[in-house]
Amino acid sequence: MQDKQEFIQTIKENEGVIYKITRVYAKDKEDQKDLYQEIVYQLWKSFESFQGKSKVSTWMYRVALNTSIAHLNKQKKSQQGVSMDFELLNLADEHDSIMEEQMNTLYAHIKKLNVVEKGLILLFLEGKSYEEIASITGFTVTNVGTRLGRIKQKLKTNIKK
Amino acid sequence: MELEEMKQLWETMSQRVEKQQLLTNKLIIQMTQERYTTKLSKIQTFETAGSVICFVMAAFVLFNFGKLDTWYLVLSGILVLLALTLLPILVLRSIFKMKHLDLAQQNFRESLVEFGREKQRFLFLQRLNIGFGFLIMFAALPVASKLLSNKDIFETGVSSFTWIYLGAAVVGLALFARWGYGCYRRITQSAENLLKELED
Repeated sequence: MQDKQEFIQTIKENEGVIYKITRVYAKDKEDQKDLYQEIVYQLWKSFESFQGKSKVSTWMYRVALNTSIAHLNKQKKSQQGVSMDFELLNLADEHDSIMEEQMNTLYAHIKKLNVVEKGLILLFLEGKSYEEIASITGFTVTNVGTRLGRIKQKLKTNIKK
Repeated sequence: MELEEMKQLWETMSQRVEKQQLLTNKLIIQMTQERYTTKLSKIQTFETAGSVICFVMAAFVLFNFGKLDTWYLVLSGILVLLALTLLPILVLRSIFKMKHLDLAQQNFRESLVEFGREKQRFLFLQRLNIGFGFLIMFAALPVASKLLSNKDIFETGVSSFTWIYLGAAVVGLALFARWGYGCYRRITQSAENLLKELED
């Protein structure tokens, strides 16, 4: 019970992170709901073994990104699932129309990247240091730097088009 | 939009998203319950049902194996038994592995490598399935005929209806195999690209 309360608190404190990851990796709104639920489920499954072993954010990003990869290969789910109001969740983006438009453009550019690049740029935009990105992804710090350099160049070119 | 602008925009958006407390305790508890992760469970149910049918059929062949009294019927029986047991075991093993992936222990890179390899393994299995499909189609006929009606079709021959059935099945399976092979090549290529990308 104590575990569950702690878990609920952790999820509530980090729900934005899960939202952003699902927005980058999901194909559409339905898919986003599926992925969101699956990430929470996987986080719960690993919560007991995680406790205290690493930083909450490292554990959370790791599980969420890994779940997103696993999710890529799965078929579309049925309607069964938790009823979740993503329209409400979208209010954050729709606060003003200019920002909404800019965010949509940004997500559209990120979605064009491949699965590895998406994960790396997401962590970069989240403000993670190269060391933290390396610890979450398993790439070396140098490799993270090289890859991010390439991704930034790619994004720059795509945005200018 | 410049990259710095992107980062700034992301930060602003993050602040807004984080301010919104939309998940309720009830919603989170619901999400932690396995009944909501139906995706893999659904595949598992179908595959398990299919496997049980295969195992029951294999048991039937095995219990009546003594009735197969010539070397070619014994050979057909062995092939049928192999196809009915080996493939379901491999498929169930693959599903079990996918279901028990520890997503918290692996990092992003390891997951991607595993994902790519699992994809290739699964597709290989699919190809094996098609191959065995052809094999079982021919091997099952004499076995079934002997066990169900005590007729050795190698001696009595088969009816024209059986030939039509066999012809249609071969054409159907060949078309399916051709389509499957196209898909296989495309997906394998994407899995290979992913693994190559990780080596860079």
